[in-house]
Amino acid sequence: MSAVLQSVSTFFLYAVVAVFAQNAVFSRALGVSRLVKLVDDDSTDSRVFCLCLCLVQLVSAPLAYLANKYILLALEWHSLIRPLVLLLCSAAALGIVVVAVTLLKVPIADKIARTLPMATFNCAVIGCILLTTIQNYSLGQTMGFALGSGLGYTLAVMAVTEGQRKLQGRTVPNTFRGLPVTLLYIAVLALAIYGFTGHMAAY
Amino acid sequence: MWAKRIQYLNENFSRIAKRDRIFLNNPVIMSGLGLAPLVVVATNGTNALMLSVAVLLMLTPTRVLASFVSRWIRFRALAYCLCAAVVYMAAYQCMRQWFDVQVVLLGIYLPMLVVEPIIIKRYERATPEKWVTALRKGLLTTAGYVLVILLVGMLRELLSAGTLFGQEIMQAGLLPMAALPSGGFVVLALLCAVWRGAINVLKKWLNMEAKRYQ
Repeated sequence: MSAVLQSVSTFFLYAVVAVFAQNAVFSRALGVSRLVKLVDDDSTDSRVFCLCLCLVQLVSAPLAYLANKYILLALEWHSLIRPLVLLLCSAAALGIVVVAVTLLKVPIADKIARTLPMATFNCAVIGCILLTTIQNYSLGQTMGFALGSGLGYTLAVMAVTEGQRKLQGRTVPNTFRGLPVTLLYIAVLALAIYGFTGHMAAY
Repeated sequence: MWAKRIQYLNENFSRIAKRDRIFLNNPVIMSGLGLAPLVVVATNGTNALMLSVAVLLMLTPTRVLASFVSRWIRFRALAYCLCAAVVYMAAYQCMRQWFDVQVVLLGIYLPMLVVEPIIIKRYERATPEKWVTALRKGLLTTAGYVLVILLVGMLRELLSAGTLFGQEIMQAGLLPMAALPSGGFVVLALLCAVWRGAINVLKKWLNMEAKRYQ
């Protein structure tokens, strides 16, 4: 019983850490290029994108854990093929999500299918599984961190989208409009996270 | 002659800017591509140099290889990423030879280049590109990105530690925060604003000169 409780508490601890203290965007700038594009782009629904990212993240994390345990750790030159193996894990996760969405007949299946490649081959997903495999996380820690990373990215997208409404005002100087002011806004949020944790996240 | 040149530049500014990947349409400044390594890893000149070499070794070969491979693989996003992962193997070996254990300083941002938008973004376009175009655009994009990486790396080292490639320039750093990711965002934001401002000034100047010669 205590082992189960410990696993559950580890899962939630890693999830909370990944959402706030080690937020993918604000502490490691993972997927920030896609984020600044996403908040300006009307053709991609940011909620669908975040949903796809969370789904792929959750499915690819256990696959990456298994690949690390049974393939990468057994090889001497694992650093060389790590990106290729993890990329294949993400691609497999994408396939699983597509099949699941099709079988479950989700109403927004078309939107999800269009957004999935963008969400899968993203620095936030690959960065998260790179971190969990390099730091040899256990399965519980990996799943917690993956869930937290996905939620943390969603939180960052929501925060930046909300801030964007204020940042498009006339008071912003012309040269700062668009990308520069968005980056400054993210910098303020990143500084707040740094003030909260007091140290830089390892990479 | 000068008047004709000014007229030509003024009339074709958008077309020229679209082709130029170094100053007028820099991938980082204008499109915000490849921000993650810039913000977190490019904290000093040495890291920026290592990152530049990695991008130099990966960007153009990936794009050229992917231009061939995407003729046979319909799922182009995967084709581009797999090509990048294959090119990464060779690039990593070269990096280990040249920089030895210092490569570790780049952390996850070196293997993460295989999904970095600046390298794989071309897959989003509907039509596959020819290898000659991939080579030309790859080299230009690399030049533009490397320029920004080195600029940001040196600027951040100077601001945070007062040194440049480890050589002391000032007694102390003016802005120690520049070494943090939040400082990286600030430096990059200011650089973007100044760069974009310079392009606007150039555009206005060309317009005024063209009117003067009419």
